Amino acid sequence: MVFDGEEAAHGHRLSTVVPSSVTGETNYELSDADLAFKLHYLRGVYYYAAGDVVRGLTTKALKDPMFPWLDAYHPVAGRVRRADDDLQAAPPRPYIKCNDCGVRIVEAKCDRALDDWLRDDAPDRLTHLCYDKVLGPELFFSPLLYVQITKFKCGGMALGFSWAHLIGDVASATSCFNIWAQILSGKKPDVSSLEPANTPRDHAPAGAPPPRSVKPVGPIEDHWLVPAGCAMACYSFHVTEPALRRLQQQLSHAGSFELISALLWQTVAKIRAPKEVNTVTVVKTDMSARSGKSLANEQTIGYVETGSSPSKTDVAELAALLSKSQAIETDAVAAFPGDVIIYGANLTFVDMEQVAAYGLELKGQRPAHVEYGMGGVGEEGAVLVQPDADGRGRFVTAVLPKDEIPSLRAALATTLLLRDA
Amino acid sequence: MAMASSSGQMKRLKPLYQLAVNNILAVVTVPLAVAVVMKVAEVGPEEVLARARSLQPLHMFLAAFVPAAATAVYLMLRPRAVYMVDYACFRTSPNCRVPFATFLEHSRVWPGFDERSVRFMTRLLERSGLGEETCLPYAQHYIPPSRDLESSRAEVELVVFSAIDDLLAKTSISPDDIDIVVVNCSLFAPTPSFTDMIINRYKLRKDVRNVHLSGMGCSAGLIAVGLARNLLQVAPMGAHALVVSTETITPNYYMGQERAMLLPNCLFRMGGAAVLLSTNGANARFRLARVVRTLTGAKDGAYHCVYQEEDDRGNVGINLSKDLMSIAGDALKANITAMGPLVLPASEQLLFALSFIARKVLSGRIKPYIPDFRTAFEHFCIHAGGRAVIDELQRSLTLSDEQVEASRMTLHRFGNTSSSSLWYELAYVEAKGRMRRGDRVWMIGFGSGFKCNSAAWECIRPASNAGGPWAACIHRYPVHIPDVLKH
Repeated sequence: MVFDGEEAAHGHRLSTVVPSSVTGETNYELSDADLAFKLHYLRGVYYYAAGDVVRGLTTKALKDPMFPWLDAYHPVAGRVRRADDDLQAAPPRPYIKCNDCGVRIVEAKCDRALDDWLRDDAPDRLTHLCYDKVLGPELFFSPLLYVQITKFKCGGMALGFSWAHLIGDVASATSCFNIWAQILSGKKPDVSSLEPANTPRDHAPAGAPPPRSVKPVGPIEDHWLVPAGCAMACYSFHVTEPALRRLQQQLSHAGSFELISALLWQTVAKIRAPKEVNTVTVVKTDMSARSGKSLANEQTIGYVETGSSPSKTDVAELAALLSKSQAIETDAVAAFPGDVIIYGANLTFVDMEQVAAYGLELKGQRPAHVEYGMGGVGEEGAVLVQPDADGRGRFVTAVLPKDEIPSLRAALATTLLLRDA
Repeated sequence: MAMASSSGQMKRLKPLYQLAVNNILAVVTVPLAVAVVMKVAEVGPEEVLARARSLQPLHMFLAAFVPAAATAVYLMLRPRAVYMVDYACFRTSPNCRVPFATFLEHSRVWPGFDERSVRFMTRLLERSGLGEETCLPYAQHYIPPSRDLESSRAEVELVVFSAIDDLLAKTSISPDDIDIVVVNCSLFAPTPSFTDMIINRYKLRKDVRNVHLSGMGCSAGLIAVGLARNLLQVAPMGAHALVVSTETITPNYYMGQERAMLLPNCLFRMGGAAVLLSTNGANARFRLARVVRTLTGAKDGAYHCVYQEEDDRGNVGINLSKDLMSIAGDALKANITAMGPLVLPASEQLLFALSFIARKVLSGRIKPYIPDFRTAFEHFCIHAGGRAVIDELQRSLTLSDEQVEASRMTLHRFGNTSSSSLWYELAYVEAKGRMRRGDRVWMIGFGSGFKCNSAAWECIRPASNAGGPWAACIHRYPVHIPDVLKH
């Protein structure tokens, strides 16, 4: 089944919420690490089953807590500007002007029932529930966050967040949304202060080679979208706990992220043959290594290289490479002076296992399902490995060229990943 | 040199002159009384009594009866004093807030406004004197804004009911005590009317006299007060009149591209006020001294000055003529001419009369004397119609910055809330603690027609607590308002 026309979300109505008090003349400086991610957009959808709680959550009830929420997160309500007085850098360095312009809220309806929608595994299920916009061509008027509230025929609801990666990584985004949910439920959460980013350190010299994990692009003017080589699509699937355990017994005792990534690395390499996929980028979230700032891009970025063709290498060996032989390049990526893409420069594996996505409880109701995808991914594709609803299995979203999706689905049906015990 | 010293002498003499002329009655009667007493003393008390007994009984009766009858007739025919028990303004909430950047972005993002219109609105907003906390109703936070009937009613209910709730709490009267309800809202007149909405919500009595004034413009608040005052003259003594002034923004957003009609979009914001008037002065806070209404609609230019019409594409909006400021100036002069003799002290009136005669005799070689209204009023509430209106009035009435501060700060914090802006300004003066017993307030409203209405109030009791629409932000005011807002 394909999501099309009336089947998907329709009847979009746009409005804006702003911080409840005047922020004043404040600028939020973007660090080098932030700017490295400027071409990517997190797309996360939270699904809530129909019931009394959801019925009581009118649009106004969802919007009202956002006003005090944005007081704490005022950069999220700001807009990207370029420094006028920076005469050396060309084009001038972007920053966020905290002018209280606000967050865009999109209201939509879907004529299908929530359960029906979740059972349907057609690709791009995610993109219908997140407002598909990027920063630019007018940066002055481009919101950094869109929240789409989609009401299903059965009374269920989906909240789709479209978050500009430059303001923070997925851990920052999920904790930001969780704070909103806490305010909605009547609590007064503590938000750690928004510290300005460190001043830019010395950049790598102009002629230096780019880090292996990323791909330079550009020059990107004011439309922050990866130049599209081909159309990309999101495809999501669930790896149940029994399936995961079976994989670990039969293939390798590596961690779940490494195992799933290795399996997908091999699958994609086979699909893309004869083109080699010898290098992959790995982006990890390590909650213990974070600085505690509310908004930051603090994921570790690195790459893994294999000597032999991954389609012929053992999965266990690939998993071992992923867990032990990762070359970390986080600082090099931040120091690189040009515009880059990170997700999709090489086939990218994103470790989201430690991200507390299911913490977005609305008045005590946990989401039935959460899935995160990515916008602005390069041609090589990205795979996001996330926790599932009970935390013991894994949920995987693959962002790949549209043409590769059917082959991926066919391959997954036959591999151990989806066959149940 | 001679001129400077003579004008310096004039300045020193002026207070003496004012004291003399303003208390002319005392200046005349005191010497007369002294003369009588001295005469009586000279003649001797027995002689006075003898003369008194020689008067005929009829003359004595008339001498007693006539003054008593005259006094009684005078007291009966005098209009009843009308008091303001209290007033309450709609307190805006942060979830209706519209920052400057958001307003601009909405105009830009919606494709119905072209490049020129957006640039025009940007320039307007930069120079408008509005701050970052003005509020628009819920429906206008949508792109494009909703203008339907249900959203409009929702806005009315929010503004009017919360203002009345605050008023009832402040005055501790029950809805059963309300005898008269007058509401003014110019641009939204659903059926049933706002007054019926109020009667339904608060379960008012069956015999309440209710009137809804629509289409009367931004000065209609004082028209409503005047009407309530008139109704109180014929109502039972001690009756209560509820006056509600508001303007509904939701149905009136202009969606076209005529520049003269885009101005209201940029300036008008959500607001409302509820006022309780009564002929019972107990517990009242202000006394209504005068209401003066001036109309200039007989002249075509003034009539077409603020005109609601459709543009070429059928979008309805309010067209503001380029001559707005000069027409407003003329209307103000007419109002001052009517108001002046009623409120100015005798000293100023004499000076004005002398200057008027002198100008006529000397064919205009003397500058017109502008009466100093600071001798008549301590506080000025000028309709916050826009920065230009306040500037113009400050200039023509020669008011100081502090005297127009209430108007400028209300424009900054609340925008142009139409007829209720005068009440927000009064609330500012009270929130700042500047109101004293006996202070006189002049409220001046302007509106389509072209009308200029004013009201004079006298304070009996200043506000005792710090509640009201300014409570959360008064500590930040006054603010400096730049000529052009940087953004």
